[in-house]
Amino acid sequence: MRMLLSRKLKEAVIKNIFFIAAAFSVFIIFFIFYYLFQQAFPAFQNQGFAIFGTTWNSDTGHYGIGAAIYGSIIVTVGAMIIAIPLGLAGAIFLSELAPPYLRTLLKPIIELLAGIPSIVFGFIGIILLVGYLHLTFDMLSGYSYLAGSLILGVMAIPIIVSMSDDAMKAVPRDLKEASLAVGATQWQTIKKVIIPTSISGISAGVIMGIGRAIGETMAVSLVLGNIMKIPIPPWNIFESKVTTVTSFIVTEMGESSGIQTKALFASAVILFVIVAVMSIVSNILKEHVQKKFKGG
Amino acid sequence: MKRKTLVGSLLKIIKNTFRRENATPKKILCTVTILVSSLISLLGFFSTVFSFYIGDEPVRILLGIVAVLFSFLLYYSLVKAKKTKESIGLLVFTVFVFFLAYALPMIPPKYGLEQFQMNASLLKFMIVSVALVIVGVLGASFTMKPLYNFTSRANQASAYFILTFALLLILYPLAIIIVNISINGIGGFSIDFFTKDVIKHGAEGGVNHAIIGTFIIIFGTGAIALTLGVASAVYLIEYAKTGPIVRIIRIAIDILQGIPSIVFGLFGLAVFVPIFGISILSGILVMGFMTLPIVIRASEEALLCVPKSVREGSYALGATKWQTIRRVVLPPALPGIITGAVLGLGRAAGETAPLMFTAAIFYSKIPVSIFDPVQTLSYHLLQLTRWIGAYPVDQNAWATALLLIGFVLGMNAIAIIIREKFRVEF
Repeated sequence: MRMLLSRKLKEAVIKNIFFIAAAFSVFIIFFIFYYLFQQAFPAFQNQGFAIFGTTWNSDTGHYGIGAAIYGSIIVTVGAMIIAIPLGLAGAIFLSELAPPYLRTLLKPIIELLAGIPSIVFGFIGIILLVGYLHLTFDMLSGYSYLAGSLILGVMAIPIIVSMSDDAMKAVPRDLKEASLAVGATQWQTIKKVIIPTSISGISAGVIMGIGRAIGETMAVSLVLGNIMKIPIPPWNIFESKVTTVTSFIVTEMGESSGIQTKALFASAVILFVIVAVMSIVSNILKEHVQKKFKGG
Repeated sequence: MKRKTLVGSLLKIIKNTFRRENATPKKILCTVTILVSSLISLLGFFSTVFSFYIGDEPVRILLGIVAVLFSFLLYYSLVKAKKTKESIGLLVFTVFVFFLAYALPMIPPKYGLEQFQMNASLLKFMIVSVALVIVGVLGASFTMKPLYNFTSRANQASAYFILTFALLLILYPLAIIIVNISINGIGGFSIDFFTKDVIKHGAEGGVNHAIIGTFIIIFGTGAIALTLGVASAVYLIEYAKTGPIVRIIRIAIDILQGIPSIVFGLFGLAVFVPIFGISILSGILVMGFMTLPIVIRASEEALLCVPKSVREGSYALGATKWQTIRRVVLPPALPGIITGAVLGLGRAAGETAPLMFTAAIFYSKIPVSIFDPVQTLSYHLLQLTRWIGAYPVDQNAWATALLLIGFVLGMNAIAIIIREKFRVEF
């Protein structure tokens, strides 16, 4: 009897150990948010809404990160203009067009693109891309929003390709075959059946790609001039004295102190919130896909 | 569904054309037009990326050939096939190509954007190269229409042509990166590079300490992420599958996976660095948390692959839940778990942002305890990149980049080997 009891006790203890491990992720999220916010709070208090302003000047004590947020948005939009069409085209090619041997060859190659460390992208960006842009567009330096967008676009493509590919592969076979049976061509099937049914999975992939582009640090920080300014005119993608949130944190963190550091933490908090919301939305979309095909 | 690649269908078109009974003038004309257009688009693409210009006259000749070919196509589709509506696109395109060939010498060598207050200009070769790409792709896709008699298969063929071109565009940067790094990096590999520490800001010497540091970080990260990750996955799969708490945990894992690496870096700087200093411990804690979601995902998938009947067989023999997990469920799931973990660690090996404030310094000794700072390959490459121009570090930077890519690829290869070799089938 006692043995049985101790056995039950042991089981209960083990279960709780596993539970604590699983709950650890939740703790980490709270930890990260709490400590970042704790560090950033003085900046929010000191600057108020001016933290979203566009003047960053340590002489006057203005620490507004608006220009960096603007930079992040511009660079990400540019990256998506490159990555979404190419990524979707790649996904359609992989999931519907490529014969099996080509698919088994191409899928790892595209995943390889995802595996290249961001610092290597930054290095290549500085050595090859910046010089190329400098010559091709006759710019002052080549460091620009344009360079950042190009690099981030290339980095986001594999995510969009592999998630959209998964989504299109998940479309039930009978749907495709029904479409082909009524005489639609393969391309019509892709356009009218496969893409509309997998649209939520594709959007999940696109959102993940955007998340990666916003959060990417090393590659983009190396190809921007990293000055907290909105270029004149604002759509000047060739201006070098610009920055993004991540890139500004990385370049300024080493040399800042006091309220300036706090303002950098504040930008990390904002980044955290944006990315957290995006991953939640992305996962809701993914769950939606799973439910849709399980039920049907 | 029958699969056709563009190359396959192109070959088929060519083969059919040269069979005598199939060689109608239309097919020959279309095949030639498609080939010339593809050639032009590739030419335009490569002159864009390699910054060369083949000169006005050759471009005019090429455009002229396309325009003449398209005039024939236009004649065919208007007069022979009587497809007035569908030919409007063709007509516009033909006129456009004629106009482009005519107007080419009038394009100024440089179109300044100063009037838009931008310090840049569009050079002539850039405009012409991009125009060539567009003309080539559009030309080939328009030709598909008369070739397939304006049916829906024509749309399919032109769409597939564009898709294939897009795929080449995706693969191009990868090729550029791999080829450049391999060619330039391999020359930097020497015995000194692997056995010495940095000398003269990295201009001489090697990356010995960085290699050691990277291994230390990977093992530490792996230890933390595997312990926590496997335990979390076991709880999520074996003990509790639904319920509000599990849902919260899953959301937390999703968020954790999306957090940018720089945010992890700042978190480490705010929490661990004040306690442990800039040290291996701070670094592996941050990196461990970062890799955790990948390991959890992989472990969950591996555990789900173990069928329910195996567990029930174990319960039927009187085993407790823990015994079942330890003896029956985990062993066959292990290869999958390890594969996922190695993939995650491969990603971690290339990360810079979380380490640069928490663990990495440029000149490091070989660490003796977990409270010492280390040097890693990624941080080494970052420093060298910043010093390009100031010191002669290019050779070592290329070699480090090659080593880093090799490292990450090597980890991926190991993961694939483990998966293939120890796969358990049920």
